[in-house]
Amino acid sequence: MTAVGALKKKTENHVQPDVRLGSSTAVARDLDGIVHILTCGSVDDGKSTLIGRLLWDASDLYDDQRATIEKSDRRAGGTDQPDFSLLVDGLVAEREQGITIDIAWRYFDTEKRRIVIIDSPGHEQYTRNMASGASHADIAIMLVDARSGIKKQTRRHAAILDLVGVKRVILAVNKMDLVDWSEEKFRKIEADFRTLSWKFGFWEALVIPVSAVTGDNVATRSTAMPWYKGDYLLEHLEKLPSRGSLSGGAFRLPVQAVLRDGRDFRGLAGSISSGGIKVGDIVVDALSGKSARVERIATMDGDLPSATSGQAVSLQLDADIDVARGAVLSSLESRPIAAHSIEARMVWLSETAFDPRAGYLLRTATDLAPISTLEIKALLELETLTARPSSACGVNDIAVAHIALGRAVAVDLFSDLSGTGNFLVVDAITGASLAAGVVTAVNAKPDSRETHQFVLTREMLARGLCRDLGTTGAEREEFLRRANEAALILRAAGVSVKIEAIPPPNDDLDPGL
Amino acid sequence: MNASPSHLDLLEAESIHIFREAAAQFRKPVLMYSIGKDSTVLLHLARKAFWPQKLPFPLLHIDTTWKFKDMIAFRDKTVKNFGLDLIVHTNADGLVKSINPIDYAPSIYTDVMKTAALKQALDKHAFDAAFGGARRDEEASRAKERVFSFRAAGHRWDPRKQRPELWNLLNGRLGTGETVRVFPLSNWTERDVWRYIIREKLDVVPLYLAAERPTILRNGQLLMVDDERLKPKAGEEIKMRSIRFRTLGCYPLTAAVESAAADIESVVAETLSARTSERQGRLIDHDQAGAMEKKKQEGYF
Repeated sequence: MTAVGALKKKTENHVQPDVRLGSSTAVARDLDGIVHILTCGSVDDGKSTLIGRLLWDASDLYDDQRATIEKSDRRAGGTDQPDFSLLVDGLVAEREQGITIDIAWRYFDTEKRRIVIIDSPGHEQYTRNMASGASHADIAIMLVDARSGIKKQTRRHAAILDLVGVKRVILAVNKMDLVDWSEEKFRKIEADFRTLSWKFGFWEALVIPVSAVTGDNVATRSTAMPWYKGDYLLEHLEKLPSRGSLSGGAFRLPVQAVLRDGRDFRGLAGSISSGGIKVGDIVVDALSGKSARVERIATMDGDLPSATSGQAVSLQLDADIDVARGAVLSSLESRPIAAHSIEARMVWLSETAFDPRAGYLLRTATDLAPISTLEIKALLELETLTARPSSACGVNDIAVAHIALGRAVAVDLFSDLSGTGNFLVVDAITGASLAAGVVTAVNAKPDSRETHQFVLTREMLARGLCRDLGTTGAEREEFLRRANEAALILRAAGVSVKIEAIPPPNDDLDPGL
Repeated sequence: MNASPSHLDLLEAESIHIFREAAAQFRKPVLMYSIGKDSTVLLHLARKAFWPQKLPFPLLHIDTTWKFKDMIAFRDKTVKNFGLDLIVHTNADGLVKSINPIDYAPSIYTDVMKTAALKQALDKHAFDAAFGGARRDEEASRAKERVFSFRAAGHRWDPRKQRPELWNLLNGRLGTGETVRVFPLSNWTERDVWRYIIREKLDVVPLYLAAERPTILRNGQLLMVDDERLKPKAGEEIKMRSIRFRTLGCYPLTAAVESAAADIESVVAETLSARTSERQGRLIDHDQAGAMEKKKQEGYF
């Protein structure tokens, strides 16, 4: 049985998939996966109109939604067409401002599958929102105005897409109606885009001439541009491989929680971020090096023989290796690295600029660790793709950084395994997400220059701050939490600090001593 | 190994992931249980996320005292069947002042009996996180909602203070006075909720299924007369009609549709081919332009 077949295998209380696909409820069928599409472009490129047009022509909009648009006295720029952007522009504030100020999510179903459209703002001050939208995308549609072609913003967007790991892009050359459907204008922009896109790690880069207002090459093939032989937009979107169908890579399960039933069940719960696992496999915790065999892959719908990337499961092991939230399980052969410091690229998301003395935390898949030093080394000039040395960093900057950690954290290189190679930098005081980044290099040894660090030892903690704590799992977690907080306070006071590793647990011994 | 998971498999796994992230990061979460179909799916996903462990948080129902009787019966049966902890909260002050949906404008009634009541309950129990069943497909302003939606002290929602969410990293570290609303169904659509109810064979409140029920026609909307508090006005008469509901709330504010769909499959078939979106049935939404967004800023779901 395949992993997916196993996923669908229900206990006797549940219908078999074949039954629910029966003719009486064919409308209620499961769709063949989900494709997430990001749209990005400069303010006036007509992005909201393009998405609105796609929804209008190709989706199952409700009558009242259509009526609202037709009833409105707004018309698309100088035409008698309805203003399709009304379908996408949501917030009152932005309707007043006339620009999109946040990411909007739209859902529609084609015959085969769910399409999710992530509408991202084009305005430069909201580049951070584009980065967050892009991080969810399987493919990105970049819009340019046929009259002006590639702009600085287009390069900036391509660089952000590449940074967060988008592998497929479409350049939609919009407003072709305003350049008399000129092939010459299109070919020039196409050539410019080719020059730009080969610098990035995209697997696929397609250029399509469209007009969002008239619908040409959006949901149907344009008759005004017979010289264009390639896919029109919707045609291409329906061909893409769905998310979840590509589940290659080494097995990783970042542990979210430990589940217990009050008797003998102890399940390590988490979502598989890459690869697959089956009963009988040996898994290892990269931080402690402890390993055990998978005894059960448990779900409420019954045990599974195997599971794969994207599935939320809990693993019961044949030995208690005392793994807690923050651990990453892998196979013995291919493990994440227990990093003491990382090199990274990151987008600064916050209006609050980087401050070398502030207290920061590193949030990985499920771990949260104190950062002992965050050092900005350079800023990437997105238009030229060159690095300029800098020690400062502010909102919308893309920085190259060195991050030393207060304790070891299990990570991968983002280029190898994106799900365990990304992170957030979190403000220790406000909790805000200040930056989002990807791991470009990992150091498994503590930085030599940080030998003068103050070490928060277990003994020191157990004697004072944590002396009320015993040896249960919850108390061990509390021990670690207090150690993290103490490290943050010291860090904020300018002390480079490190937490002594919590020993491999042995339930009979005091955790601190 | 190369068959891809269906879109419901992916949505289910994502929701379970969100539940687990929130339960691990917040000190005292609660599940806001409104008894409707979205809450039914939400609760089912929560049970899957923590199975075989008991739910690590209680359910909270804001009882306006104007819910359909069938809803309350369904709520109590569900709590008993699954051995859940349920907290029921009513705004006692609003009750004393007889704030009701018949004599007061929907916006005033909602503000007192739902929004204020919810804030009271969250404050009383010092919950730092509340799971809700809101979906991004419900209404334009919700299309931009985060999975972790932060509220400043006083439960105020400020669109400019929301945190960017990247990949599947959910940062739940709270600042002083902050609380969070968690939306595990963010990426589900109304149709997905129904598809999932069929696939998982979930029980729903019988009001979703068509039956002969006493109704009156008011302002072009069909209202069910669930008890004697809803009195026909001059020219209105109570008439038995075969009706069902697409969405459930307080009975004088929830319009029914005429339908013969008496089993879940027929309802879903009708719903999937429906020509109007579900919020048409919620009278409060038509109060004013941008109504939902305004209510959200005030703390309503």
